[in-house]
Amino acid sequence: MSGIEAIELCFSYGNNMIIRQATFELQAGEILSILGPNGCGKTTLLKCINMLLKPEGKVLVDNIDLRTLNARDLAMLMGYVPQMHSPGFPYRVIDVVVSGRTPQLGFSVPSEKDYEIARNALVRVGVSHLADKFYTQLSGGELKLVLIARALVQEPKVLLLDEPTSHLDFKNRIIVLKILREIADDGIAVIMSEHDPNLASLVSDKVLLMRSKGDIVGYGSPKEILTPDNIVNVYGLNIEIFERGGSRYIFPIF
Amino acid sequence: MASVEYIQYSKQSLEFLRSNLTRAALTLSPFIFLIIYLSVGKYNVDFSSLHQLLFSDSIDRTIFLNIRLPRAIEAMIFGASMGISGASVQTTLKNPLVSPYFLGISSGAAFGAALSIAIFGYKSFFLVQPAAILFALVAVSLTLGLSKFRGQFTPVSVVLAGIIVSALFSGLLSLIQILVEPEKTQTIVAWMIGRLYTITWADVRVSAPLAILGILGLLYFRWRIFVLSMGDEEAKSLGINVERERLLVIFLASVATASVVSVTGIIGWVCLIAPHVTRFLVGSDPKVMLPASISVGASFMLIADMLSRTIWNFEIPVGIITTIIGAPLFLYLMRRALHEWH
Repeated sequence: MSGIEAIELCFSYGNNMIIRQATFELQAGEILSILGPNGCGKTTLLKCINMLLKPEGKVLVDNIDLRTLNARDLAMLMGYVPQMHSPGFPYRVIDVVVSGRTPQLGFSVPSEKDYEIARNALVRVGVSHLADKFYTQLSGGELKLVLIARALVQEPKVLLLDEPTSHLDFKNRIIVLKILREIADDGIAVIMSEHDPNLASLVSDKVLLMRSKGDIVGYGSPKEILTPDNIVNVYGLNIEIFERGGSRYIFPIF
Repeated sequence: MASVEYIQYSKQSLEFLRSNLTRAALTLSPFIFLIIYLSVGKYNVDFSSLHQLLFSDSIDRTIFLNIRLPRAIEAMIFGASMGISGASVQTTLKNPLVSPYFLGISSGAAFGAALSIAIFGYKSFFLVQPAAILFALVAVSLTLGLSKFRGQFTPVSVVLAGIIVSALFSGLLSLIQILVEPEKTQTIVAWMIGRLYTITWADVRVSAPLAILGILGLLYFRWRIFVLSMGDEEAKSLGINVERERLLVIFLASVATASVVSVTGIIGWVCLIAPHVTRFLVGSDPKVMLPASISVGASFMLIADMLSRTIWNFEIPVGIITTIIGAPLFLYLMRRALHEWH
């Protein structure tokens, strides 16, 4: 299939099981949101998917088993946007973005063509005006968009994002999610972790709901999974559900 | 609109001109300083006839070809090695406060030299250099080995391990110094003083090949070095084999610096200062910064050694000059950089 398939992923630190039997599949063009409380293993699951950790089980992208690939070939299939990036040196934004060409470049220095690709990626995420700024001086939202641009420059089949909306204001969250929807619509499978079930429902084709210690409560469409029962079960919160224009909104009762 | 575009256009071309001028100046500067370096000194070499200088059997020829020239070349190779090694180590470890010396190269080399002098005496001085290189590499390997904590290899753990290893080798060095005869202690102390006045063509022949190999290797890796500074997980997801490539970069930097230190002794601060001066001049752009650090390092050493030969009526070891210039300069650059980055 064209897309990504995870089959029975398991991961533990010592005896401490973090991920249990995570299985899902996602077509190119779809968005999967991983939901669950803090510390339930969302980041760990993402790192199992892109092999930063060594999980048991299989991950297939376009039917290729990722365990058989070296770092470079893997980077051509999969981009990763971390939750936090601590900048080291004051690089220009454009140089940071063009570093996404590394898998294609190997040991050579980027050419004008690579810079062109990087500039286009900045245009696509709507921050082309930042190209010559120091990336150490960006706001949280700008930095996130720049890192998404860098991942796009890799021209991946699958894009992983660890809490792309964290630390962002009300508007920037929506901007980031809209851009992710567009990216998916261009035929990339997008997998992200997310805290807000409403935001997840807004853009996701599928959600994966986790409880503590990697217990997977459910996997399917947002409507199927984000039910009152499941939310109460996972978060222990009393909630109320509103339906409006075919969409469902979840509010906590104070 | 047209005027705005014009202003933007001229601003761009000005920027273009500025960066190209900087590049040209940086490329030329080591050669300009080399010419100045060769023409100044206690003895006034007669440059009126180049032919006579190069081919006649005169004292001018001896001073020029056998004293000044090898010393100038070693100064340049030393500066170039320290410049690019410092820049590479700082970048791969994502830490502007480290240098190859921090990883234990200087104390390892000093220990190796002392050990060789203690065992074989100063008559087999040719053994000092390989011993210095060998123990510099031993020290770096130890640092890297110790810094791998639970399979993790973090910038902070590298620096801490470097401090531990340096302390260990300094302690062992002191032990050697008190155990051997006083004359050997003197030789050891004389070796450790960072200096270039002892340099002959033989020293250049010993140190240059490995140093140049290291420099070229680091230049070849400059893009990967930049990507390594994105952090381990990001570098990995950009297709870098993080552990292996970082080790390789540190190994190349160690080889380059250890091989020059083995003939000059411990000349401090250059590997820390040269990268910062370079960033100050050309910015952090990875494609430009590493090559530029070669040129900045070489120029810095030529200037420092010129001062060491000329400011007093006897020679001041260049290591003292680099420290006196280096410490306040580093403070200034750091304050400026911190101001600019945050």
